[in-house]
Amino acid sequence: MIRTTRRKFLVASAVMAATALSLSVMPAQALSPRSEVGVTSTAIKLGITLPMTGSASYGYNQLPGAMKAYFDYVNANGGVNGRKISLVVKNDAYLPKQAIQNTQDLIGKDKVLAVIGALGTANNKAVASAVNLGRRGIPSLFINTGFSGFNDRKAYPTSSTILPSYIMEAKMIGKYVNETYPTKKTCLLYQDDDFGDDALVGFDKTHGNLDFAVKVAYPSLSQGVAGVPDSWITKFKAGGCEVQVVFGVASATLYTILAAAKAQYAPKWILGSVGADIGSINPATVPYIIGATSMSFMPSVVDPKDEYVAKFKEINTTYNSAGAKFNSWALIGMNTAFVAVQALKAAGKNPTRKSLLAAIDANGSKFANAGLVPLNYSKTSNVGFNGYWFGTFNKTGDLVPNDTFTYTPYTTDSGTGPVVKTTYTRPAMPAKGLPN
Amino acid sequence: MHNRQITNRHRFIGFALIALVVYILSNIVDEWRSYQGATVAVYVVAIASVILLTGYSGQISLGHGALLAVGAYSAALTQIYLHAPVWICFVIAVLTTALFGAILGTAAARLSGPYLAGTTLALAVGLPSIANQFSIFGGEQGISFDAGWPPLSFGENFTQYKWFFWIGSLAALIAMWWVQNILRSRYGRSWRAVKSNEVAAELAGINIGRSKVLAFTISSGIAGLAGALLAMTMNNVSPSAFPLALSFSIATGAILSGVNTLGGVMIGSVALVAIPEIASSIADRWSGSENLATLLPEFIVSALLILTVFLAPKGPIEKLRSRHSK
Amino acid sequence: MFQFINTLLIGVTAGSIYSLMAIAIVLVWRSTRVVNFAAGGLALASSFVGAAILEKSGSFWIALPVAMLAGAVFSAFIEYFFLRPLLNRSGEKNQEIFLPIIATLGLLGIIKAVLNFIYGDRIGVIPPPLSDKGFIVSGESIALSPLRILILGIVLLLMIVLTIVFQRTNLGLSLRAASFAPEISRLAGIRVDLIRTAGWAISGAAGATAGILQTTNGSGSIAPESFEFSLLLVFGFVAAVIGGIESLVGAVLGGLTLGIILAIILMYVGGSLVFFAAFLILILVLLVRPQGIIGVKGGRRA
Repeated sequence: MIRTTRRKFLVASAVMAATALSLSVMPAQALSPRSEVGVTSTAIKLGITLPMTGSASYGYNQLPGAMKAYFDYVNANGGVNGRKISLVVKNDAYLPKQAIQNTQDLIGKDKVLAVIGALGTANNKAVASAVNLGRRGIPSLFINTGFSGFNDRKAYPTSSTILPSYIMEAKMIGKYVNETYPTKKTCLLYQDDDFGDDALVGFDKTHGNLDFAVKVAYPSLSQGVAGVPDSWITKFKAGGCEVQVVFGVASATLYTILAAAKAQYAPKWILGSVGADIGSINPATVPYIIGATSMSFMPSVVDPKDEYVAKFKEINTTYNSAGAKFNSWALIGMNTAFVAVQALKAAGKNPTRKSLLAAIDANGSKFANAGLVPLNYSKTSNVGFNGYWFGTFNKTGDLVPNDTFTYTPYTTDSGTGPVVKTTYTRPAMPAKGLPN
Repeated sequence: MHNRQITNRHRFIGFALIALVVYILSNIVDEWRSYQGATVAVYVVAIASVILLTGYSGQISLGHGALLAVGAYSAALTQIYLHAPVWICFVIAVLTTALFGAILGTAAARLSGPYLAGTTLALAVGLPSIANQFSIFGGEQGISFDAGWPPLSFGENFTQYKWFFWIGSLAALIAMWWVQNILRSRYGRSWRAVKSNEVAAELAGINIGRSKVLAFTISSGIAGLAGALLAMTMNNVSPSAFPLALSFSIATGAILSGVNTLGGVMIGSVALVAIPEIASSIADRWSGSENLATLLPEFIVSALLILTVFLAPKGPIEKLRSRHSK
Repeated sequence: MFQFINTLLIGVTAGSIYSLMAIAIVLVWRSTRVVNFAAGGLALASSFVGAAILEKSGSFWIALPVAMLAGAVFSAFIEYFFLRPLLNRSGEKNQEIFLPIIATLGLLGIIKAVLNFIYGDRIGVIPPPLSDKGFIVSGESIALSPLRILILGIVLLLMIVLTIVFQRTNLGLSLRAASFAPEISRLAGIRVDLIRTAGWAISGAAGATAGILQTTNGSGSIAPESFEFSLLLVFGFVAAVIGGIESLVGAVLGGLTLGIILAIILMYVGGSLVFFAAFLILILVLLVRPQGIIGVKGGRRA
């Protein structure tokens, strides 16, 4: 007994010493790097964390492939001032804790210049508070969320969002439903976190002013539990809903449509932009969403005459992995990468975190991109797009504005401002899809 | 052959040596390694708590993640609502979780084997999810827990993660000191007696129920400390920080450490932190496939687990010792 | 009232699938005293086999039996190559159940990693073989469809078959004897090893069925990193424990209890309490009956 305790200590100390050694041989980061973290003379490293697996990953897991495809296209054409861009992708399975961990990994271990296109409201909120991005001066650019809270520049000095805020989206849905179905019973499915709470603000009296007969909140990821989507539909049917707004992630939208088909619940669907493109995930849903209303700030992916769509589609075919669909997420991913390249170019010959952020503040609103509404980056604003056009899903499950692909985009703000038709004309695409 | 008694003084020297190693380490490594060091400290405390419960008292827990959650939320809520200093938050976390463990242990003491495994498993799945139901817990994105920045007198280069590494290691050393003392006390002996033969222990006058509940309480208190430390390294407490996978990782770490010996606790803790890193660097070198990078850590941990169960079911330390004494 | 009946129907369907998973857990426990967490991985792997066969053959009726067979083979393989040596090594008394649990957790991890390696971000698709549109009763669609009747039918059929097999062939008794007193069983002429493998194989087939039915009743698709299957495993295990871990009838009762109560909570209380409710149900049952609904008193000490 005595012997064992002694041995235990010997072994424990040996292990400690071994750990100490193994850790100490790892090179510590150079104390004063001449160039910025994540930038060498030949390369620029960016990172992203988003759900690649799990219930919430459907659709969004196609973003990195499209982003990388565009970066590879740029790299094949000389890169950004001779530097090749790489993107480190981390899977957070839509779990805030994992997103925190991944972001710490990206910053501490992979040493990226900036985080770009990170996805999810709860995740990015947790990351912002836990990793102290603002205080440490680390940019988290073009976050794929519409949570209006991020648009507080004081609280999030190094962050910017790219999606229109959920308040804007809800305001627009409110206006649309009030004008199109003034007398119908309308119901709402939303996610039970800040993503949904933001939407509720947009629907309230002072904003979109839309009343719901039945509101169902689902906790994040609960949509994967057997019977859960059925219970939503049962409640909506019991409430006699005629117009159904679905304000959720893609998997929740998908499960709602499938469960509704089972229960033969066929309201007029209004699918929020975040999770609408479900036909490209599961073709079985296409018959059920034909004619459903949704919105987008990008052109339709099947628009035959849009120069950005044509070029991005071509890049997707050549540079994305074999069989990668060109759907709304691929378009958004590629567009984000396209904007990022312009930001890096604008950040000077030797981009730093500071110059990158300054470049977006100074020029961000003028960056060429496929969006049909303006980007709103400036010294005082980190808001991305600020509006949508409405459309319906066609026979192939793609969102189109109408048969002739003429768009009527609206813009608004996250406050109580009106929803107005925009006169914005987007910049023409640079030659070969390469910003100069 | 060694008749020299190992006294508390020797043990104290051992602990002081470990503290010295940690101190030296913290000055060599960069910010990232400090963060990993702090994580190792969290695992040390969590695994020690499982070893105490399962290895010494013989009660299975597949739900230690839930106990960590109780500790983490108590610490964060104490800070937010009572504005208490960090060390008080830690103490409250330990006490709250111990109380929770006492209640749970009272129910658990009647259960054994698969019933206890099932109950703790259901707890691990169920408890963190109620954070979504009550707004005080901050929902999916959770609430923040800020252990603060290091004192300015430590200089500008003293990073926050180095500070966490220090706090975590200090807490782990105190916890381990306390645990090894309690295991060698009257209580520790009674737990082992109950584990090896309940009937004999009962005949010897040990109150089995009380002994089990006490073990559960103490183990929970330590788990609560681990939870508060985890919250510190994350700066944040959210339901997703305590998935079933965390409970399984801790159980895995206990097996890798050798569930019957406290001394191996470093092995499992370092393994849990190092393996994902080693695996991802292998995956990077081998091929650029992200798919491989995400699945390799799970594969390696799982394979190592099975190997340990087969080759060294009592843990690597016992294995070494039995080979030596042959 | 209408809503309540629909809730019950949703609960019964989900519960019957949990029952199958619970049966898979119970069978392994009865034959080898192992809590088999690999069962979730086996169900997932077999469902992928089913999806592959379905894609090739186009017939659910070929895919289901092949998946069951695959589940049985996978499960027997694991018993033969992993658990048997492990249990032989740790001796007959086999008091320690922690180690085998951890071993099966390791196996679960390996199965998932292998599936991830093979499938990556691709998904397997198992569309419903029959219409999943609810029947219309007095102008309203109810939560019962030909598919759900089929699911209930398959579960019922499997239970009847298992009950008959266990009663007519003494397999059940041999299983219990083989796990409780292997030495005596051997002396009594029971081929202990074979019986144990048989228990695992049947368990694998039951798990595979649960996986296929779960998929087709849910989204119709499976991914290697499936949250649905983790839940199936957890709820199946909880159902088995509620039912007393020894009894097939108990497993079914446990599964249905869990399914129905969870459906009611989902409908009338809220989504975020479901998992905690599962824990509450379990602990309430165990506080009243520490050996489960249909458990042998004292059996828990074995």
